[in-house]
Amino acid sequence: MTVSAIVPMTGSYDYSEVARSVLIAIAASYAALDLTGRVSAARGQVRLAWLSGGAVAMGIGIVAMHLKGMLAFHLPVPVAYHWPTILAALLVAIFASAVALYVASRHKMGWVEASTGSLIMGAGIASLHYIGMAAMRLPAITRYSPLLVTGSVLLAVLFSLIALLMAFDLREETKWTVPRRLGGAILMGGAVSAMHYAGMAATSFIPASPPDLSHAVSISALGNNAIAIVTLIVLVAAMVTSSVDRRASAEVGRINRELERRVAERTLDLEAANQALRREIAHRQRAEEDVRRSEDRLPLVIDTLPALVWSKLPDGSADFLNQRFREYTGLPTEEGLGWGWMKEFHPEDRAEDEWRAAFAAGEPFEREAQLRRADGAYRWFLLRAVPLRDELGNVVKWYGTSTDIEDRKRAEDELRRQKEVLQKIFENIPVMIALMGEDGHVELVNPEWERTVGWTLREIREQNFDIYAKLFPDPQYRQMVLDVVAASTGEWTDLKVRARDGRVIEVAAALVHLSDGSTLGIGKDITEWRSTQAALQEAQDELSLITRVQAMGELAAAIAHEVNQPLTAIVTNANYSLRQLKDSTPNLDELRTAIEEIANDGARASAVISRIRGLLVKGTPRRAELDINRIIQEVTVLLRNELSRNHVYLSTELASNLLRVHGDPVQLQQVLINLMMNALDAIRLSPQQPRKLLIRSEQKAARVVIRVQDSGPGIEPRLADHIFEPFFTTKAEGIGMGLSISHSIIESHGGELSLVSTSQGALFEFTLPVTMNE
Amino acid sequence: MNEPASIVFVVDDDPSIRRALKRLIESVGLYVELFGSAAEFTNSTHPDVVSCLILDIRLPGISGLDLQRKLAEAKTLIPIIFISAHGDVPMTVRAMKAGAIEFLTKPFRDQDLLDAVQVALERDRTRRQREGENATLRERFESLSPREREVVALVVSGMLNKQIAAEIGTTENTVKVHRSRAMEKMQAQSLADLVKMVERLKTTEDTFTSP
Repeated sequence: MTVSAIVPMTGSYDYSEVARSVLIAIAASYAALDLTGRVSAARGQVRLAWLSGGAVAMGIGIVAMHLKGMLAFHLPVPVAYHWPTILAALLVAIFASAVALYVASRHKMGWVEASTGSLIMGAGIASLHYIGMAAMRLPAITRYSPLLVTGSVLLAVLFSLIALLMAFDLREETKWTVPRRLGGAILMGGAVSAMHYAGMAATSFIPASPPDLSHAVSISALGNNAIAIVTLIVLVAAMVTSSVDRRASAEVGRINRELERRVAERTLDLEAANQALRREIAHRQRAEEDVRRSEDRLPLVIDTLPALVWSKLPDGSADFLNQRFREYTGLPTEEGLGWGWMKEFHPEDRAEDEWRAAFAAGEPFEREAQLRRADGAYRWFLLRAVPLRDELGNVVKWYGTSTDIEDRKRAEDELRRQKEVLQKIFENIPVMIALMGEDGHVELVNPEWERTVGWTLREIREQNFDIYAKLFPDPQYRQMVLDVVAASTGEWTDLKVRARDGRVIEVAAALVHLSDGSTLGIGKDITEWRSTQAALQEAQDELSLITRVQAMGELAAAIAHEVNQPLTAIVTNANYSLRQLKDSTPNLDELRTAIEEIANDGARASAVISRIRGLLVKGTPRRAELDINRIIQEVTVLLRNELSRNHVYLSTELASNLLRVHGDPVQLQQVLINLMMNALDAIRLSPQQPRKLLIRSEQKAARVVIRVQDSGPGIEPRLADHIFEPFFTTKAEGIGMGLSISHSIIESHGGELSLVSTSQGALFEFTLPVTMNE
Repeated sequence: MNEPASIVFVVDDDPSIRRALKRLIESVGLYVELFGSAAEFTNSTHPDVVSCLILDIRLPGISGLDLQRKLAEAKTLIPIIFISAHGDVPMTVRAMKAGAIEFLTKPFRDQDLLDAVQVALERDRTRRQREGENATLRERFESLSPREREVVALVVSGMLNKQIAAEIGTTENTVKVHRSRAMEKMQAQSLADLVKMVERLKTTEDTFTSP
């Protein structure tokens, strides 16, 4: 029948056929899953056989299902099938199955294998479907809906992926394998069917001319059933084979496991039996290993030790010297061996007998000796030797080290030297030194301390008395001393100390804290110094007197002259008066005048004499309010003769407005005389004319200034610094005390004596503070 | 004021002493002039009469000894009496060697000073007298002609008239004439007198470095 229309033909499904096709699909799926297990369990040729057989069975199943599905579809036209195409579809199915089995039975399946496998498998299934479709011979044009085709292909790929994953997962033989495989098979079978029917849905048939029916067969109901039955048989056969194979391999596995169990038991017995032996062996091996390893390391350790290491035979002859020893001495090993090491010692330390004796004694010993370095320098070493004995106690070997202690030795020597220096200082310095503990008790004193106070450290220690109470009997004073000790400021303090013999001595002492809290005190007996000072002071006072006396000696002639002048006038006038009185007509007016002058000159002479006495009196200064101009005048009178004898013009410029000063007139006279006599001496030395001596007085603020200037040669600048020093003099017969005493006199008056100018004659100046009115 | 017959000069820096000395010396009728220093004395003019000088050794400026030397250098032959508060020996020797009349140590006895003053004035007086005689002799000698002086010199040397005539190449009679003329001019009483006169002239020639 020919139908000419462009409307697609309406197909209908025979649902019992559909059910059968689904069953076939499920059966094929189960077979596939089952075979996967076998393929993966097998190896080599068997595996290839299982793979091939499985692939064929599966391929047939798939094609059968396909065919069954095709047959369930009824079109209003007769449908024939081109059998070569179906054969091609079968090949494709087998190929796809083989790929699936291969992938799913691999040892492991990654995403690459899964996706590649599913792509190939999906493509295969889709191909077989559409190849199968192409095998249809019917009077219609087959049209495909591209969307549904694509969907069916995707479904095929997706289902293939699921199938592969399931197959991979279910390939192992476990307790729940059959139900799970069954479930998987149902799922897979359903999926394959779904894909098939989706593919069918993508197809529409447009009525057309009758097809070429060569090689085409029509499949009858019988044929149809035959396909199903054959397929099922194939599948069942495959499954049965698989099952038998599985059973056989399970039995082999059981027997193997039993054998292994027995072997294991036996092995356990054996291990138990040999446990101790094995442990022993292991222990020994470890020990041996340790020994071997330590033996490997030992020479390195010995050679790198920071010491010279050696071993010696019982008699002391060396049989081993380490590398450092060789490097230090620079000796080749063979030369240091035996007794060769001996000559590397300093001759002082080379007493071979002693060494032999030490080794012969067989006891560990230590010794310090100087060992020669390769460059010839000797350094101190500490040798330590220890004997190794056998079970009988005989020395079999000596082991020893020599450690460089040169630096330590030097430090020790230096320390010893410093200590000795300090000790010698401590013992011999003529200064008292005492060390006191934190609580103030005397810990140490030096010989000078003992000598000075009379107590010895031993007594203090042994008799345990309070030395402070002995030295400072007055409790109040003692407390003051203890306070000074506690404070230890380092300042010098004068202490009055009672010596053992009862003398009270004066000690200048200073105390300082040491870092450990103890106190170091140093002191000097200044009793003698004090009395010397006093004597010196007295001597100086004496000297001052002597100087004054000497000055008076120099002045004696002048003074005699000074007294003689009024005396001469007196005598002359007196004689005149006597003559007048003898005369019958005396000139009474003249006589009276003469007698008056006698009286005046007598007073004048008396004044001169009292001045002289004033100059000679030694004693405490008598201070009085005085007019310095008057002192100057008195002194110029005293020296007038001396001045004229030396042809010196004295001029004075005395200020009339001078305030009074507070001072000792005699001492101030002495200063002026000293300055003027010095001036005279200077003038005498100088050819300078005219010979002048100028004395000026001036009021300057609260001071009176007196200047004495001469026309002498002046004072050399290099001497100017020394002129006020005691015993400094430029005069052949001078004793060098004049200016020194003058200086101290002016100072004691609160003034200042200074040399103002040295050129063109000397100019001395002294100031005196004026008396303040209350 | 009439010039006094003699003057005593006093140089002392002590006014009291000066006044006392003046009083004392004037009391014996002598005229006194006082000076405080050597300069004061040398700067004033003094009448040419018999005089002496009482001089203190120690004076401001020029000392007594220096003044003595200066006076000697100026041929002022005034007799000097030194007074000093204390004279040491060298100083005294020096003063006496230089012709001092006396060296008195202060205070001195009044009579010692007055005696010394008398001696000094007497010496000055004598000196002045001798100086006058010498001047007369010189005048007389200078009135002789050169020939007469020549003859006198030879006569004094002890030569006879005849010898003198031979010496100066003239006659004995001519010598006699010169000789008597010279005797007359010199107012010599005898040959011995003439000899004495010539000797004295010789000494003064030594004393006076003739102009």
